[in-house]
Amino acid sequence: MPLWWPLLLASLLFAIGVYAVLVRRNAVLVLMGVELMLNAVNINLVAFDAHLRDQLHGGQTFALFVIVIAAAEIGLALAIVLLVFRSHGHIDVDRLRSLADRDLDPSTSSGHRKLDRPEVRR
Amino acid sequence: MNALLLLLVLLPFASAGLTFFAGHRAEVATKGLSVGASGLGLALAAIVAFPRLGDAEPIGQVYASTSAAGPSIELSLYVDQLSAVMLLLAHSVAFLVQVYSLGYLGDDPRYPSYTALVAIFTGAMGVVVTADDLWLLLVGWELMGACSYFLIAHHWELPVARAGAVKAFLMTRTADLGLLFAIILLGIRFDSYRISTIMSGILEGGFARDELWVPAMLLTIAVIGKSAQFPLHTWLPDAMPGPTPISALIHAATMVAAGVFLVARTYPLFLSAPMALNLLAGVAALTMFLGALYALFSDDLKRVLAWSTVSQLAYMFGALAIGAYSAGILHLLAHGAFKALLFLAAGSVVHAVGSTSMSSMGSLREKLPDTFLTMTLGFGALAGVVPLVGFFTKDAVIGASLDAARDGRLVWPWLAWVLFVSAVVTALVTVAYCLRAWLLVFFGAPAPSAEPALTSEPAPRAEPVSLRDASSLGSSGQATEVAAIQESPWSMRAPLYLLAVPTAVGGLVVAYPDLLLGSEVEYEPLHPDVAVGMTILVALTAGVVVWAARRHARTPWRVPVIPHPQVDRVYDVALVRPVRRLASVVRAGDRDVIDAYANGAGSATRGLGWVLRLAQNGNVQGYLMVVVVGAAALAVAAGVLA
Amino acid sequence: MSATELALNGMVAVPVLFALLTGLFRRSEGFAVAIAVLGSLVTLGWSAWVASLSQAGLDGARVDEVWIAAIDVHWSLGVDGISAPLVVMTALIAACCLVSLVRHAPACGSRGNLAVLLLVIEAGCLGCFLAVDMVLFFLFFEVALIPMWFVINSWGDEHDEQGRRRAATRFLIFTVLGSALMVVGFMLVRSIAGTFDIVEIATGRASYDFGSPTALAASILVGLGLAVKTPLWPLHIWLPDAHSKAPTVGSVLLAAVLLKLGAYGLIRFWLPVTDPTWELLVPLVAALSVVAIVYAALACLAQTDLKRLIAYSSVGHMGFVVLGVATFTEGGVQAAVYASVAHGVITGLLFFLAGAIKDRHETPELGQLRVLYGGVPRLSGVFAFAAMASMGLPGLAGFWGEMLAIRSAVEPASALPDTTFTVLAVIAGLGVILTSVYFLTLLRGMLQGTPADPGRDAVVLDVEPLEWVAWSPLVVLTLVLGIMPGVLLSPVGEATRAYFGGL
Repeated sequence: MPLWWPLLLASLLFAIGVYAVLVRRNAVLVLMGVELMLNAVNINLVAFDAHLRDQLHGGQTFALFVIVIAAAEIGLALAIVLLVFRSHGHIDVDRLRSLADRDLDPSTSSGHRKLDRPEVRR
Repeated sequence: MNALLLLLVLLPFASAGLTFFAGHRAEVATKGLSVGASGLGLALAAIVAFPRLGDAEPIGQVYASTSAAGPSIELSLYVDQLSAVMLLLAHSVAFLVQVYSLGYLGDDPRYPSYTALVAIFTGAMGVVVTADDLWLLLVGWELMGACSYFLIAHHWELPVARAGAVKAFLMTRTADLGLLFAIILLGIRFDSYRISTIMSGILEGGFARDELWVPAMLLTIAVIGKSAQFPLHTWLPDAMPGPTPISALIHAATMVAAGVFLVARTYPLFLSAPMALNLLAGVAALTMFLGALYALFSDDLKRVLAWSTVSQLAYMFGALAIGAYSAGILHLLAHGAFKALLFLAAGSVVHAVGSTSMSSMGSLREKLPDTFLTMTLGFGALAGVVPLVGFFTKDAVIGASLDAARDGRLVWPWLAWVLFVSAVVTALVTVAYCLRAWLLVFFGAPAPSAEPALTSEPAPRAEPVSLRDASSLGSSGQATEVAAIQESPWSMRAPLYLLAVPTAVGGLVVAYPDLLLGSEVEYEPLHPDVAVGMTILVALTAGVVVWAARRHARTPWRVPVIPHPQVDRVYDVALVRPVRRLASVVRAGDRDVIDAYANGAGSATRGLGWVLRLAQNGNVQGYLMVVVVGAAALAVAAGVLA
Repeated sequence: MSATELALNGMVAVPVLFALLTGLFRRSEGFAVAIAVLGSLVTLGWSAWVASLSQAGLDGARVDEVWIAAIDVHWSLGVDGISAPLVVMTALIAACCLVSLVRHAPACGSRGNLAVLLLVIEAGCLGCFLAVDMVLFFLFFEVALIPMWFVINSWGDEHDEQGRRRAATRFLIFTVLGSALMVVGFMLVRSIAGTFDIVEIATGRASYDFGSPTALAASILVGLGLAVKTPLWPLHIWLPDAHSKAPTVGSVLLAAVLLKLGAYGLIRFWLPVTDPTWELLVPLVAALSVVAIVYAALACLAQTDLKRLIAYSSVGHMGFVVLGVATFTEGGVQAAVYASVAHGVITGLLFFLAGAIKDRHETPELGQLRVLYGGVPRLSGVFAFAAMASMGLPGLAGFWGEMLAIRSAVEPASALPDTTFTVLAVIAGLGVILTSVYFLTLLRGMLQGTPADPGRDAVVLDVEPLEWVAWSPLVVLTLVLGIMPGVLLSPVGEATRAYFGGL
C-alpha cells in the first residue's frame, strides 16, 4: 500500500488526540487523547518500518517501547485522577488551578477570580 | 617687630580659646583674663603701631604660604599708617568695651562666652586691618560678621534679638559675595593675592580709566553691605537688641568702619575705576540724609545712634568717593571715638533707667552727672560743635565736597554738588536730632507712664541688662520695677571719660594730620569760609530746635508716622517670600517628581510582574496550548529556513 | 614583603581581622566593642603610616600582583597625595564612630554585630581609596555597600521599622544599579585601553583613544555609576531617607565616608576617561552640580526633620565637590579633595550632634526641638560651631573647598566654555548664601527661642566626657584645616600634577 495511507491515518488520529488534550474538560478524556496521540505515533513508526524494510525492525521495537510506556503512564495518570476526584469531588481540569500564581491573601489580589479551595476528605 | 605683630594678631584668639575652656568654672579668673588680654593687646598694638605713624616705612612679613594652583595664599601681614591708626582705634575701643562690660554685664551667666566672642572679634578686626593677603582679609572680614551675629543674639530669648542677628548676618554675608568674586578676579588679573603687590601693580600698570571696573564695583557692593549703606542699611538699627557695649564696639567703631577701611586700603583700585566712585558718592549722598531723617524721628535712643552711625559712615564714603582720602580717614577715627562714647554713655543711661525708649527718660542730668557730661561732649562732637573733634573732621569732608563740586576730576560734577548739598543739609539735621535726644534724655519733665508709641517702629522695649531682667520682662516688653536711678559703677564711667578726651581735644590732631598719616597723602586745605558758614547754620538750627522744644511739653515736634524703612518690605516681597515658596516647591518636587520616578520604577517592575503572572493561571491545558503552538511555529520556521 | 606592600595590604586586612575578632566575641557586648575600638585605633595608626609613605606619583607606593589572570584583574593598591587624606579621614571617622558606641547603644540590636559591620564597611572604604585596578575598585565599592543595608535596616530609626527598611532597600538598589552601570563602563574602558589599571590610562602609558565610538559611552556609564554614589542631582533621592533613618554611627559613616567614594571615583576613574572637548558632557555635569547646590539648599529650608536637613546639606556640599572636578583643572581637583575631607569632618560632627540631640529629646522633629541653648548649652555651642563651619565661614574648614571650587569654575580648563562656567560660579556663590539662610534658620528655630516654663521639661543631660572624646578630633580638625589649608593643598596639588600629567 502507498506510504501515505497509514501516515494520513496517523496524523488524523494525532490531531484528534491533540484536540482531546487541549479542549476536553474531563480528565479521563484528556488521558484518552494522550493515548490516541501515542497510538498514532505507533502507527507512524510501524508504517515507516515497513516502508524502509528495516532489517533490525527499529520501528516495531520502538513501538513496543511506546506501548509499555503508555501503559505505565496511564496507570499513574489514572491513579492521580482518582485521588483528585476523591479530594475535589470532580475531575474538571479547568477548575483545577491550585498551582496558579496568586496572592496568598485574597483581599490583596487584584482582579483574580475566586478559585476553589481544596477540601481534604479522608 | 614682626614677631610682635604676629603675636598681636594671635593673642585675642588665644585668650578667647582659654575663656571658652575655663570660662564657666572660674568667674574672677575669666574677668581678669579677658580684661588683661585686651589690655595686653592694646599695649602690643601701641608698640607696633606708633612707630608706623607719620612718615615711617611700613613693615610687612609673610609668615606662611601655601600654593593651591594659581597664586599662593599667604599668611602675610602689612602695617602702614592706615593699618596703624586702625589698630589703635580697634584695640583701644575693644579694651574700653571689655572694661565697661565688667560693670554692664559682669553678673550675666553668659559672660564667659560673651567676652570670648568679643576677643575673637577683636582678633578678627586686627586680622582685617593688618592683612596683606586678600584671602586673609576675607577670613577676618567674615569672622567679624559671625561674631556680630552671635553677640547680637546674646539675649536670644528676645524675638527682636534673634531676628536682628539673622538679618545682620545675612545682609552682610550676601554683600560679602562681592568681595569674594572681586578677590578671585583680582587674583586672575594680577597673578597675586597680595594687596601691596596688586596696588603697586595698579599704580604702575597704566590701566585705562574704568578698565578695572568689575572688581571695583564688586568691592563697592561688599562695603555697602558691611557698612550699612543704602539699600542694605536696615540691618544696623535692627542690630540694636544686642548688648550696648557690642553696639559700641561692632556697630559704631570697628566692624562697620571696616568697609571704609577696605575702600581706603584698595584706594588705587577705586581711583583707576571712577565708575565705582560715582556709585559710592551717590549712595553716600542718599544714605547720609536718609539716616539722619530716621534718627530725627526715632523714639528709641539706641536706634537714634544707629541711624546716626549710618549717616556718618556715609560722610566717610562720600569723602573717599571724591578723593578726600585723609578727610575720610580722620572722620572715621573721630567718629570711632565719639560714637563709641555715645553708645557707652547710652548704655549707662539704659542701665540706670532700664529701658531704651526716650519716652521713659527725662531730667537725668542731676542723677547721672558723669554720663551727662560725657554724653554732652559726644553729642557736641556729633553735631559738629566747635572746638570738638567732630567739627574739624566733618567740615573737612564738607569742604572737600565743595572743592570737588567746583573743580572735581573723579566724580561727575553734578553728583559732587548733590553730595555737597546733602552733606550740609544732613549736618543741620544731625544737629537737630542730637539736640532732641539730649533734651529728651537729660532735660524736660521726668517720664510719665508709658505713652502710646507715635511711630510704627518696633515697640520700645526694655533692654535686659541682666538675665534677671530678661526673665522678668514677660510678654509686655516693659521693665518691671528697677532700682532707683543711680550713676553707673566706675568700670562703666572710666571708659566714658577716657573716650571723652579724644572727643574734646582730638581736633588738635586733625590740625596736624601728617603726624598720623604721613606727608605723602594729599591733605585738603582748611576752608575757613565753610567752617564759619557751618557754625552759623549749626547755631541757627540749634536755636530753632530749642525754641520748638520750649513750645511743646516734651518732644520738640510731633512725630509723624514714619513707616519702617520700605526697603525691608521690598526685600520681603522680592526675596524672602519667593525663596520660601521655592523651598516648599523643591521639597514637593523631591517628593512628588523625583521620588515618583524612583517609586515608579518600583511600581513598574511590580506591574510587569503582575502582567506576566496572568499567564500563570494554573490551567494545564493553557500551558500545553502554548507548547503546541510554539512547537508548530518552530517546525514551520525550521522548514522555511532550511 | 616590603614595608610598602605590608602597609598597603595591611590597611585593608587589619580592619577585616579585627572584624573577625570582634565577631568571635560578639556575645559579650562590652568586650566586643572594646576590641572593635582597639581595632579602629590600630587602623587609624596604620593609616597614618600609609599616609607617610604616600608620594606624589601613584607608582611611588604601590602593590601590584596578578590576581585573576584569566580576566586580567590585578590586586593593585596604591596611595598618593589624593587618596592619603581620604584614607586618614576614613580611619579617623570610623574610630570616632566606634568610640561613640562604647557608651551609647542603639536601641535595637546588639552592639557587637554593629561593630563588626562598621569595621567591614571601613575595610571596604579603605580598599576603595587604595584600589588602582578598576575591577578591584568595584569590588571594594560593593563591600562597603552591602553591610550598610544591614546597619540601616536593623539598627536604624527605632520608631519607624517600615521606614528604615524602605530607606535601606532604596539605598541598596540605587547604588547597586549605579555600580552595575559603572562596571559595564569599566569593561568598555578596558576594551579601548587594553588594561584595567587606571594609572596606565591616566598617565598616558596605555593609549586611550577618545575618538572611538565607545569612549563617550564608557565615560557616561562610569560617570552615572559614580554620580549615584556622590550623589549628583537628580540621582540623590536615596540620600535623605538613608541618612535620616540610619543610626547615628551609620549616618556619620554614610555622610562622611561613603559619599566620598563617589567623589574619589570621579577624580580617579572618571577624569582620565573623559575628554573635556566633548561638547555637552562636562558642562552638563558642572551644571547639574550647581543645580544640586541650589536645590539642596532650598530643600533644606523646607525640612522639618533635623537629620533630613543635614542629609540635604550633604547633597549641596557634594555639589561643590563635583563642580571642582568638572572644571578639569588642578585647582579643581584640589578643591574637590579639600571639600571632600572638610565635608567629611564637618558633616560627621553634625550627624554626631544630631544623633545626640535626637537621643536626648526622643525626636528629630524640628517642631519639637526648641531652645536648646537653655537646655543643653555646650551641645548647642558645638552645634552652632559645626553649623558655622558647614555654611562655609572663612577661617573654618568648609570655606576653602567652596572657595577653591568657585575659583576654579571662574577659570576652567581651556577646552571648556568660559562664560558658562562663570555663570555657574556665580550661581554657586548664591548657593552659599542660601546655605547660610537655612543654617541660620535652623539655629534660630532650634537653639534659640523664648524659654517656656523651666520646670516643665525633663532635665536633659549635656555633653558627656566620652562624647567629648569622640567629637573633639573632628572639632580640632575643622579648626586646623580652616587655619592651615596648606596642610592638604600642597600634597594634593603635587599628586594631581603627577597623576594627570598636566590637565
